[in-house]
Parts: sequence; structure tokens; C-alpha cells
Amino acid sequence: MDFDAVVIGAGPAGSAFAKRAAKGGMRVAVIDKKKDLGSPVRCGEGIGGHWFEPLGIKIEPGVGYAIEGAAVYAPDGRELIVKTAETTGFVVERKIFDKQLAIAAARAGAKFYPKTMAQGLAKEDGKTVGVKAFRDGECFELRAPLVVSAEGMEAKIAREAGFKCQALLYDVDTCYEYEMANVEGCRRLIELYFGNKIAPRGYVWVFPKGDDVANVGIGVGGSMGANPKRLLDEFIAANPRFKRAEPVEVKGGVISVGAPVDSFVKDGFIVVGTAAHQVDPIHGGGIALAIEAGDLAAQAALDAFQKQDYSAAVLRRYEDEWRAAEGAKLSKRLKLRKVIEQLNDDDFNHIFKEIGDSDMLKVLDSDFKPVVAKILLKRPSLLKILKALV
Amino acid sequence: MTVKVDNSKCIGCAGCVSVCPVLALTLVENKISCDEKCINCGACVKVCPARALRL
Repeated sequence: MDFDAVVIGAGPAGSAFAKRAAKGGMRVAVIDKKKDLGSPVRCGEGIGGHWFEPLGIKIEPGVGYAIEGAAVYAPDGRELIVKTAETTGFVVERKIFDKQLAIAAARAGAKFYPKTMAQGLAKEDGKTVGVKAFRDGECFELRAPLVVSAEGMEAKIAREAGFKCQALLYDVDTCYEYEMANVEGCRRLIELYFGNKIAPRGYVWVFPKGDDVANVGIGVGGSMGANPKRLLDEFIAANPRFKRAEPVEVKGGVISVGAPVDSFVKDGFIVVGTAAHQVDPIHGGGIALAIEAGDLAAQAALDAFQKQDYSAAVLRRYEDEWRAAEGAKLSKRLKLRKVIEQLNDDDFNHIFKEIGDSDMLKVLDSDFKPVVAKILLKRPSLLKILKALV
Repeated sequence: MTVKVDNSKCIGCAGCVSVCPVLALTLVENKISCDEKCINCGACVKVCPARALRL
């Protein structure tokens, strides 16, 4: 065997796995089909501040813009400002951030293969023995007893291995985004605009990356039939603060806002990060979740490496630990998403009028009961929708 | 049967790849290609944020 593990995808999940596994003594290869890691950017680039300490994330000057809270807007324009550990954080430059994670993994001893396509699983007597790779016109095999899919939403090799990573239209948001200069009125707040006309089953965001630079994006429900680019262009045209704004980058993508895939491990195979749909169903964020899962998966892989037993029974530790911690939290957020998507703009406006900052904190902590009670007091007709939360 | 890609619109996000039920789509160096496994289901067309695909 050439390696102890082959990782497909050098995003946050793949590099986090590689760093921890290589530090623990495993020989790790990371392949990525792109020639420039971290590009093209497919997201809003925000990371919540509550992650930095537990995950040891450090944002160097020039890599991110510090955020102090969130401003959330109802369809009628009413603003709620929320400041919690979760709503502080950074909007990062993914192209630098991802590369720094790869550099950290390389320093720990992982071997990197950029511009190298994973074409499929390498098999011997029907058993997976690694990954078939293609680079510079040549096919070759990277052999290892463990394959790690950190492929992001594409997850083609994971699907080839039998994992149910196909995304369904109902459980994705489809997103379009400009990074813009000359944006007026940026505060150190991420801004989220809700409303079924503005962004059907989604939201428009303004994530500042500087005093007058911001990611201005939109996500809409994949089954809503809405054209995200058109809606975003309309939002920008209708708001005078973007009058002088100039796009300096176009980004976008499709992100899971559904449940995590039903299994993360098989014999000799692990799926981590967005490939496993380990994404927050409310805001579609997954950078920190990916780093955490990559690290957790590597701890299970090191256990397997010590025992020289890469069976699902040994690797399952990663899946069990993840589901007990993040899985439990995200399932509450999924419930909340499915409630929010039933609300019309009038309901939204009413709810924003009734609740305050402290209620928003409770909702973010999945402590729904007191907030639901407060809303129902004034609008009992929402019971049939909101009862799913209590 | 394959879907048609307008690369002047495509932003290379591979969102289409993630919803394709038959793994017919592939992204290489920010370009999407579609092979003969395609069943013309249209999921990719609906999900594409740049509206770059058509049947």
C-alpha cells in the first residue's frame, strides 16, 4: 500500500482530516481535481465565532473581516440585531483560508496532489484498494486501506461507493452571489433579509468583507422554481446603497439544507463534511462543521490505524460521536427550517414585531417553546405550523 | 440524451452534479460535461443557480 488513507477533496473537511491523521503518524494523500485549491468560491464565506476556540481556528490579518453580530430583516423591513457567540465571527477569504488549511496539513506530513482527478475506486478482487487518479494525461492508482470522501456536494466517488449523497431539490438551496466593492452602509454585522418575494424559502445576505466590500448573495429553495440570479439583481437594483457598487467576483453554488446522509462509514471508507450533508439547514453554513467532522473522522481513522482494522465497526466511532453532538443540534435546526418555510410574509412580519433579541437568542439555541408561546398569544392561527417546534 | 451547457453562464459550482440521479454530469476545471447516462430528468436544469443548463 502506498498510503494509509487517500482523501478526495482538499477543502476544509479533507485538509482537517489530513492534518490530524498525518500528525498521528498515518501516511495520507490528498487529491483535488482543481489546480487552485479553494476556488471557485461557492459560499458566503462566514464562520461563527463560537467555533474558533474548540477547533483551534485562527484567522490571520487579511484573511477575514471580524463580525460582531447579525442584523435580520423581516419582509416589511423591521430590523432585529442579534449578538451572540454564534453571530459573531469572520467573513473569510476562502481562497486563502482553504489554502492555509492545506498548508497546515502538508506541514503535518500529508502529501498533496492538486490538479488530480479522482476517476473512481481502484478495485482488486472486487475489494476497494484505493482511488484511480488522473493527472497530466496519465492514470495511476493511489492505494490505501482507507478512502475518505471530502468531495463536497458533488460526492461522486462516495456515491459510487454506495453512499446516498445525491441531493434532492427540496433539500437544497440554490445560491448566487457577487462580491462587491463600494457597498455603502456596511457595519460589522452580517445582514439577512427574509421574505417570500425577496428569496422564496431562503434569504438574501450581505456579508461584509471590508468597510465597503461585501459578499451580496441569495439562496432560494431548490424546488421553488425561482431564478436566484434574477432575484439578486432585483434586490441590488432596488437598494440605493448599491448604487455605486461594483461586482469584483461572481460566486454561487448549491448547498444541502436537509438531513445528513444516512450513513458516513463503510469498511475502508469515510464520508466527511458537505459530502455527508453536514451543513446547517437554517443558514447553509458548513465550513466549521466540515473542519470538526474531518478532525473527528481522523481520530477514528487513527484508532483503525493503530489496530490495522479499517472495518466499519472501528470507523463507526466517528459517526456515533458526530450524530450524538452535531447531529442532534442540526436535526432541531432542520425542524425549524421546515416550519419557517411554511410562513408567509405576513406571518414573518408579525413574528418579527412580537419577538425581541432575547427571543432570537432562544431560537438560535433551539429553545423554541417560550418563543412559540409568545407568538401564539397574538396569532393563535400559527399553531398548526408552529406546533412542530414544541 | 444529454443536457446542453451554456459555459458563458456556468459558474463552475457543480450544483447540477449533486442532484443528478444517474451521475451523468462531471465538472472538470470549471466546465460541466454530460455523458450518455443522462435520462433528461431536468433536476440539474432546475437547480442551476446560473440557469446555464437546458434539456
